[in-house]
Amino acid sequence: MLSEREHERYKRQIMLFGDEGQERLKKAHIFIAGAGGLGSPISIYLAVAGVGTITFVDRDTVDQSNLNRQILHTDRDIGKKKTVSALAKLREYNPDITVNAIDTTITADNIHELVGQVDGIVDAMDNYPVRYLLNRVALEKKIPFFHGAISGFYGQATTIIPGRTPCLECLFKKSPPDEITPVIGVTAGVIGTVQATEVVKYLVGQGDLLAGRLFIWDGLLAKSEEIAIVQNPACPACGSRASSIPPMEKS
Amino acid sequence: MSVKVRFFARFRELLGTDIFAEPANDTPIALLVAGIARKNPDGYDAIFDEHGTFREFVIVMQNGKRVETADAATVMVADGDEIAIFPPVAGG
Repeated sequence: MLSEREHERYKRQIMLFGDEGQERLKKAHIFIAGAGGLGSPISIYLAVAGVGTITFVDRDTVDQSNLNRQILHTDRDIGKKKTVSALAKLREYNPDITVNAIDTTITADNIHELVGQVDGIVDAMDNYPVRYLLNRVALEKKIPFFHGAISGFYGQATTIIPGRTPCLECLFKKSPPDEITPVIGVTAGVIGTVQATEVVKYLVGQGDLLAGRLFIWDGLLAKSEEIAIVQNPACPACGSRASSIPPMEKS
Repeated sequence: MSVKVRFFARFRELLGTDIFAEPANDTPIALLVAGIARKNPDGYDAIFDEHGTFREFVIVMQNGKRVETADAATVMVADGDEIAIFPPVAGG
């Protein structure tokens, strides 16, 4: 049941999906991998929307060079663990939800336990090895996986529903080269909020998800496009001969 | 015949987009795209490896349908085709 306080807090969105939708958000538990550029808008918007439990993982410390995009963290947080900084902000944004912060590196060994039983896994990572691990665990546990990635003014997002859509390895068989990419905060804002929108839609059961579609954003042209994606029958992660053992290197 | 080639994101910055080409019959996708990309060495290097084949992470689409990078050297373009070349990004 929603309290009077919650009714008031979420009044403007209850107009969209009713008490029932808000209850669904409240009962939900979302796992966010990363509290950086994408993790900031994703976690803030899911917190203020009233997602009942948010667990996020990050291993890093706030650096001055993070602050152009990682809006969970401010100047006074430089030197603090991102988990500490982010936890404080999210609790301030919404004291009515539960936020769990885990300060660790996601590896093939700990990912199953870290993710646990959640209603959605959100990709806010900056590298493909960990994205592939998240994809594998999402497939294995049959949990929706909300992918996003950015570089410069460009970004991409898609929603993976295990058993229904192609997976991340169908789409990206080979990861793009690892490099320190230039990035502007607004791009993280665009893609992170697309991902958060997908999570909310999935939880309340409204709209059409980015299922089987890769949303691509070109901020310089102010144009979005989409690419239809299809399942790869030979996909090592979700194809008919998929193995359950993630072959990815630990990171 | 007339074929439209669309480069996205960083590839667009390096090579432009919505390029109309008039390839001969039986031109494979890779050959057509390489011919266009050669006008900018940085653009070419971003898309093709030292053997002149598509880098594996590049997404190649023919009329909205994915073409495996390994097959792009043998899949022919047809009149009216739209070829899209997209670089996935990695940051977060």
